[in-house]
Amino acid sequence: MKTAIKIQDIRKDFILSHSGAASLKTSLLWWKKAKREKLDVLKGLNLEIPEGECVALIGRNGAGKSTLLSLISKIYKPTSGTIEVNGRIAPLLELGAGFHPDLTGLENILFNGMILGLTRKEVLERTQQIVDFSELHTHIDTPIRTYSSGMLARLGFAIAIHVDADILIVDEVLAVGDYTFEKKCYDFIDSFRKKGGTILFVSHNADTVKRVADRCIWLEDGQVKRDGPTAEIMREYQPDSDSSTTP
Amino acid sequence: MRENLRELWKFRELLWAMVERELRIRYKNSFLGFFWSLLNPLVTVAVMTVVFKYLMQNSTPNFSAYVLAAYLPFLFFNMTLLDSAQSVLVSLPVVRKVYFPREILPLASIASNFIHFLLALLVFFVYLFGLWAVTGFDISPFTYRMWFLPVLLVVNLCLVTGLALIISALNVFYEDIKYILSVGLYLLFFITPIMYFSETVFYALTDKPNGKLLYDLYHLNPVATLSTMYRKVLLAPQDVQVLKDGVAVMEGVQKANWIHFGITTLISVGILIYGYHLFNKLKWKFVEKP
Repeated sequence: MKTAIKIQDIRKDFILSHSGAASLKTSLLWWKKAKREKLDVLKGLNLEIPEGECVALIGRNGAGKSTLLSLISKIYKPTSGTIEVNGRIAPLLELGAGFHPDLTGLENILFNGMILGLTRKEVLERTQQIVDFSELHTHIDTPIRTYSSGMLARLGFAIAIHVDADILIVDEVLAVGDYTFEKKCYDFIDSFRKKGGTILFVSHNADTVKRVADRCIWLEDGQVKRDGPTAEIMREYQPDSDSSTTP
Repeated sequence: MRENLRELWKFRELLWAMVERELRIRYKNSFLGFFWSLLNPLVTVAVMTVVFKYLMQNSTPNFSAYVLAAYLPFLFFNMTLLDSAQSVLVSLPVVRKVYFPREILPLASIASNFIHFLLALLVFFVYLFGLWAVTGFDISPFTYRMWFLPVLLVVNLCLVTGLALIISALNVFYEDIKYILSVGLYLLFFITPIMYFSETVFYALTDKPNGKLLYDLYHLNPVATLSTMYRKVLLAPQDVQVLKDGVAVMEGVQKANWIHFGITTLISVGILIYGYHLFNKLKWKFVEKP
């Protein structure tokens, strides 16, 4: 099986500032006091994800899960190490990041689809499917400032899944919309996996993890603590939750 | 740098979509939107004309056309820098989530403002024709000098793009840059020949010691040189009224100063290269600003 993502000895550190607002004034006035602290988030992490696998990243806050996802989506440049990605990546945007409130749903579909890497032609071909999936037929011609947050999330999700990505990156946004929409999302994830797509997601919801992931990677302190089948890892990760979630 | 440019070329369709989006937002999908946005320069020029012609008794003919010829490019400069300064900062939520060449954000602001500027120039030509008709088709509104307009636009675009890249990148880290910028642009308006002429400065300095040098220094400001060039390219040469020893006299327009323009071109291209370099150096740090 081909590898979708291969990560070798990745390191990432951030400069942390305690000086507050980012302004020329503060940095000129307080340049002596500016305390800068280096924060190692990922410390030499190795990972290989084969094509078609659904992987959940778990771990406590600050373990480096989101940083890892951002590195894979080319948002950050790693301090050292290499990341190899085979295929098109689509990040699931949270609550319509990148939408413009004054533009209509349709205009935002075009623009957001192109930001996610589609060509104009590809977006136009998919527009009807996206509208159908998001169930926003009546509102698609109105500026999205009139949308509710659930509608925005549905539109964002609908666009992201129609990008035809090979790798889907989901950062805690699966629980959007109402129950029927949630079911639709899960159906989509199932069909996406049947087509051989790779999914990488972060979730603190144990039920979601158990429902979709077939492999769990437990990050702790910038390194892989445990890596293995979901059931096994989740038993270790949440030893007491098993009795409450299984009926 | 070549790799960055190739990456940008790959995303050219996104750049164009972003330009289209900015224009749509600006004109709010209405045809009148464009004319609304022209209201500012037209009213400003009308007020300036009234003040200069009637309150300050300046009798330069077609004063409003001269002001407009310099004010439209200045407004392009002004609006582009203010728009692009914020371009990266307001898009940080997207930048944090999706990869695309970050320079697309300021470039989209620049391109949409440039298109707006070209449309405004078209309206300016209509205005010139109107003026031509009203004055009894005296002096032709166009001269052969018009051929130079594309060169002028390219140099202007280089300058604006370079500055916009620098400012938009720095504004992410120092959010008060936009306030400093707006004060700077306000002051720039006064040291740029818009309400007055380059000739006004020339004749005011010509008798002073080192007057010639001061005049050259004055034109080191690329915006001043560009404004002067726009006037010479867009309009037929005409006498302007200047003060000499406190007396208003009409003087012939100075010839285009190619040394000034050459220096301005060098400065503009230099700023463009430096700006692109700086932006690419800083763009990976946008998402992890301390």
